[in-house]
Amino acid sequence: MIWKHTLKTSFISLSTNRSRSILTILGIVIGVTAIMLVMSLGAGAQKLILDQVQGLGTNTIAVIPGREPSSPSDTAQIFSDSLKVKDLEALKNKANVPGLKQIMPIVFGAETVSFGANTYQVSVFGATELIAEIFDLQPKVGEFFDKNDVSSRSSSVVLGSKVVDQLFAEDDPLGKKIKIKGRNFKVIAVLPPSGGGTLFNFDEAILMSYTTAQDYLFGIKYFNRLIIEAGEGTDIEAVANDVKLTLREAHNISDPSKDDFFVSTQQDLVKRLSTITTSLTWFLIAMASIALFVGGVGIMNIMLVSVTERTREIGLRKSLGATDRDILTQFLLEAVLLTGVGGLVGVFIGTVLALLISLALSSGLGVMWDFVFPWTGAVLGVGVSALIGLIFGGYPAYKASKKSPIEALRYE
Amino acid sequence: MNIIEVKNLKKIYQDEASTTIALADISFSVSQGEFVAIMGPSGSGKSTLLHVLGLLDVSSSGSYYFAGQDITSYSSDELANLRNQKIGFVFQAFNLLARTSVLDNVKLPLVYSKIAEADWDNKARRAIEAVGLISRLQHQPSELSGGEKQRVAIARALINNPDIIFADEPTGNLDSKSGKKVMSIIQRLNEEEGKTVILITHETSTAEHAERIIHLLDGKIDSDIKVAKRLSTNDEYVK
Repeated sequence: MIWKHTLKTSFISLSTNRSRSILTILGIVIGVTAIMLVMSLGAGAQKLILDQVQGLGTNTIAVIPGREPSSPSDTAQIFSDSLKVKDLEALKNKANVPGLKQIMPIVFGAETVSFGANTYQVSVFGATELIAEIFDLQPKVGEFFDKNDVSSRSSSVVLGSKVVDQLFAEDDPLGKKIKIKGRNFKVIAVLPPSGGGTLFNFDEAILMSYTTAQDYLFGIKYFNRLIIEAGEGTDIEAVANDVKLTLREAHNISDPSKDDFFVSTQQDLVKRLSTITTSLTWFLIAMASIALFVGGVGIMNIMLVSVTERTREIGLRKSLGATDRDILTQFLLEAVLLTGVGGLVGVFIGTVLALLISLALSSGLGVMWDFVFPWTGAVLGVGVSALIGLIFGGYPAYKASKKSPIEALRYE
Repeated sequence: MNIIEVKNLKKIYQDEASTTIALADISFSVSQGEFVAIMGPSGSGKSTLLHVLGLLDVSSSGSYYFAGQDITSYSSDELANLRNQKIGFVFQAFNLLARTSVLDNVKLPLVYSKIAEADWDNKARRAIEAVGLISRLQHQPSELSGGEKQRVAIARALINNPDIIFADEPTGNLDSKSGKKVMSIIQRLNEEEGKTVILITHETSTAEHAERIIHLLDGKIDSDIKVAKRLSTNDEYVK
């Protein structure tokens, strides 16, 4: 019952000084708006990145030669020639890796390609016919190379959209012969522009059979990557483990710390990316919290003014039997009400702004940006605001509660 | 039985520059149902005495028994509870909450009592009826005359059915007609309901409602006399 009365009193007092109340909560509103915005956009960005990574399928496992880099500056790729054909065969053996559905070796390197007088620096990717399926590539025109091209080391190549633009201008590239390292290659397909939104960008790449690339361009007997797709419903970690055990056996490694390869799953990548975006988001939230803190100081200031203005009221209430605790509760509740409302308004404005920005991003930039309502941000925003009311309203409320009734009544 | 019993009460205000003796040495008692007026020039200590008696302030020394209890060792919560249950205050400046209806103003002491909220409305209506303002229930203080405001304050003082009413210059801000009406209500409460009344005033006409008049001078009791012929309740003002 005292709560109901106190709520009513707080409401009357806050609505009496309406413009003052609004200005007071502005800091809180701005802080919570910023937090909502950061959390919503952060979640949107995270979703965008993860959707693209997961577009590859979470069943994908990459085997990379060399040891796992221990730090960003650790670029020494020792044992970079450690993945060979015998590894490929060992992994293909169902007895070794039962969960493996298919496996594709990849080799890559930078080369200069020319057509007539036009030259262009490109990335050459050598793979099997599975590349179209695994990377979800659809040629704009023509057909991808097939199994026979791989076994016969054919000179068929698929061009990325930018490569076509640079070499052919207006001409139809299909069936034309281009030159790399003095050898002729026949264009059998062209990829559409990726649009910049996807994780793997083959716009500036030329794709061909890995056998062709190994023998005729790079002169190597090893692979730069092995891409493994696990069967549906298999335990991806178990498959990754089988891959490790198989390769260690093939390489005669007994101590896992001496591995000359490392295995990276899509899930690892998703986890790593999530960690980055999440910590970035929290950093921005910490920045936005400064606004909340400043807002809290504003609340304290106004509550102190309010306590002084209402000294007589405090005296009257005490003379009628209010205890220190009753007065404390009243002023605390008032502060919490102020900041709580500020928090709610901030959640509302933040949501509207985040929605507008995500609409602008998806229509203006053509990115598939989904609006995400940050429930954590909303709960956190309102909760932290109320907490700030409690903390910064605490001192003024305590001051009010300790006023002697007679001094308060005498106050002019 | 004595509702108030004070002995050698002293109240001294001290700061770096000076020492002010507000109450020098006060001893007297008031029995249940008495109507006492305290008079005296300004600075004589009458307000201080009322505040100490009303448990709003504490004395510097001396003993104070309120309704038989030694309250000098009471905590502030216990004093607040006593003020809520046993005491009603009427102030010169009315002290009503602005932007709050007559009904809600009168209910205010109930907020700090243990009385169930379901009973608040009835109690408040009865108290407001007793001061003849039932038609003003939903009015705000700003819509009332001074006399009406003071009657609301009286209703508020009555709501917890206190034993004693302290009135600090209740007619000080009122014209003579409203003042008479307020005084006749206070006198009726004393005569018909047996409420003890302690009233501060500097107007002789107001003090004439009392049975006993205590004169203070320089923080001491100068005289304490029974009134021979008291004014009678003027019923025409009440209804």
